[in-house]
Amino acid sequence: MEKDSENKPAGKNVSRRDLLKVGAALLGVTGLTQFVGLNTLKVRASETIDEGGRKWGMLIDINKCIGCNYCTYACQAINNLADDMLYNVVTAEETQSGEEFFLSRPCMQCAEAPCVHVCPVEATYYRPDGIVAMNYDRCIGCRYCQVACPYGARVFNWKEPIELSPKVPDFGTPELKNRPRGVVEKCHFCSHRIDEGLENGLTPGVDAQATPACVVVCPTNARIFGDTNDPQSPISIARAEATVTLRLREELSTEPRVYYIPPNPKPETQEEAGS
Amino acid sequence: MINNIRYPTLRLGKTSIDLFPFWIGLLSIGFLFGLVGAFVVLRDGLDVTGLSNAVPWGLWISIDLSAISMGGSAFVFGVIVYILRIKRFEVIGKLAVLLGFLGYSTAGMVLLFDLGQPLRFWHPIVFWQPHSLLWEVTMCVVLYLNVLLAELLPIVLEHPIFKTHPWLTRYRLLGNLMNKVYSFSAWLHKAGPILAIAGLTLSLLHQASLGATYSVLAGRGIWFNQSAPVQFVLSAMSGGIALLFITSVFIFRVMRSGMVSDSALYDVARLAGGITLLLTYLRVWDWAVTNYYSFDREIFLQTQILDTIAPYSLTFWLGQALLPVIAGSILLAAKSIKNFRYLMAVAVIPIIAAIITRWNYNFAGLIASISYDPFTPNIVLNSYTPTWVEFAVGTMVICYWMLAFSLAARFLPFKSSHDHHE
Repeated sequence: MEKDSENKPAGKNVSRRDLLKVGAALLGVTGLTQFVGLNTLKVRASETIDEGGRKWGMLIDINKCIGCNYCTYACQAINNLADDMLYNVVTAEETQSGEEFFLSRPCMQCAEAPCVHVCPVEATYYRPDGIVAMNYDRCIGCRYCQVACPYGARVFNWKEPIELSPKVPDFGTPELKNRPRGVVEKCHFCSHRIDEGLENGLTPGVDAQATPACVVVCPTNARIFGDTNDPQSPISIARAEATVTLRLREELSTEPRVYYIPPNPKPETQEEAGS
Repeated sequence: MINNIRYPTLRLGKTSIDLFPFWIGLLSIGFLFGLVGAFVVLRDGLDVTGLSNAVPWGLWISIDLSAISMGGSAFVFGVIVYILRIKRFEVIGKLAVLLGFLGYSTAGMVLLFDLGQPLRFWHPIVFWQPHSLLWEVTMCVVLYLNVLLAELLPIVLEHPIFKTHPWLTRYRLLGNLMNKVYSFSAWLHKAGPILAIAGLTLSLLHQASLGATYSVLAGRGIWFNQSAPVQFVLSAMSGGIALLFITSVFIFRVMRSGMVSDSALYDVARLAGGITLLLTYLRVWDWAVTNYYSFDREIFLQTQILDTIAPYSLTFWLGQALLPVIAGSILLAAKSIKNFRYLMAVAVIPIIAAIITRWNYNFAGLIASISYDPFTPNIVLNSYTPTWVEFAVGTMVICYWMLAFSLAARFLPFKSSHDHHE
């Protein structure tokens, strides 16, 4: 047949040499998958190694928050951020019964962080102590992490970094060097303070120098910080005392490390409920 | 054979003017205008765009997704020509490779400007994060672009200029270099089946992953959808093959009359029609599963709010359901219709449907996002208006696509291997 006569010569050429080529290609692919496997294991191993077993967490008592935004301002001063760069956001919200309250939102430092899962270059990663950190030298600025974050906690450096934040010196002085234009930034629980504090024998959450700036500056002590794995830490004690705590968008299974004490119902509504 | 090519001409009285130089000139102006925008964005960063923290992906990502979908015929025809060895599609397969390469290179080009750190574009190749869909997409696109290049090189080298140009004999070094390139190209051509398998794998993987890029994001409601990967693959196939049909008719029937048999062209149309119908069937079921047989408050509210600002549901029912069913049916009946004008007009619909799918997908979850407050979560309406820089860069890459396509349509010989045997 016509087709056969066309195909045969090509078919002959294919047989042995191409079989070898296919074999080599398959070997190559197998090698690659091994590499992927090793890489994957490496990531997982670093997740599980846990120096001192600490996992940092934050508890925010909504009842104490007065919406003064000092947490935001201190954060901007410490990280040297322009006014439109917000790692921390305070918004006015409502309960189902219409009572107003202030919700302040740092990065949730999720244990199952969507941003870490999606970053194509591992520029954002879990530190052994649970903090979701950024490698600003590696970030390519694709902004997939921003798209993925259910809390809107990530900010992109649209402009050249600011020389000095307008919140300096009223709310603190810059403690970190500026990030370049074109990378994504985020709250890191002031990890530089935690690291330096631990080196100097301080306890994050107890000693101000080793505690995130937003926690230290809060005038009503609405924020409590500490090691969630240590039952004696301020956060563990406060969580044990609180009758109920919640986390934001828990249905997404992101396992945030930021807990909230929800607003108490107003006394009159309690009475109404009681009667 | 090249002498027989018919070009679009304008007849003024007795003189006929070749429109080609004007067309190329127009596209070049568009490209140069875009270069200005490209320069501005590289100098001043993404602040010159209308993007924000709330809507970090905009016009460029939509163009990127659309361009990739327009290359969807390359892997299908790679398999048809190199693995199934159906000879009558050989020439069309070459055009498919060209469309694939143009689609992917356009996407790569626009993505480069969309990165905050364009000089770090190579990071995904070195810093692996295999959990990330975007990493997988990047790797597949990079590798597939190489596969397409390898498939395209022998096609481009068919042009006689690379064999007969006087410089090749005048400058021996150039001649020797060209010989090396030819033997490399012959080796690549022999590796066709392997390249086809690699292309199929990489293409399927990342066309699907582009859908999954959105659909894994549980926090965005309307995106969280199991069938998105399959929808993206099928719509790239239906839109890509419809584009291949239109361009094939133009290049192999209008410009190079009789180069490809009409029945082969009808078969391309039928393939596009069949896949379009399959895709629409899947999409309507997907709608039913997420909107009729189940109720998700977030998706409902997101759809509602999107409908207030844009014809979101209308574009779905009209552009992605009704018209594709009609178009798919007509294309499937190509052999009985036998009218290339009608068929080409109808083939535009699957292309538009594939593009609408991607634009709706990209913007739906970003424009109508969900707030995180614990007691009364609601849908937040974000706004985004592209700036002139975004339009300029968009124009640039689209002009690049059309420029390269126009030049190829006129100058590539698209020789069939039959010619060698005869």
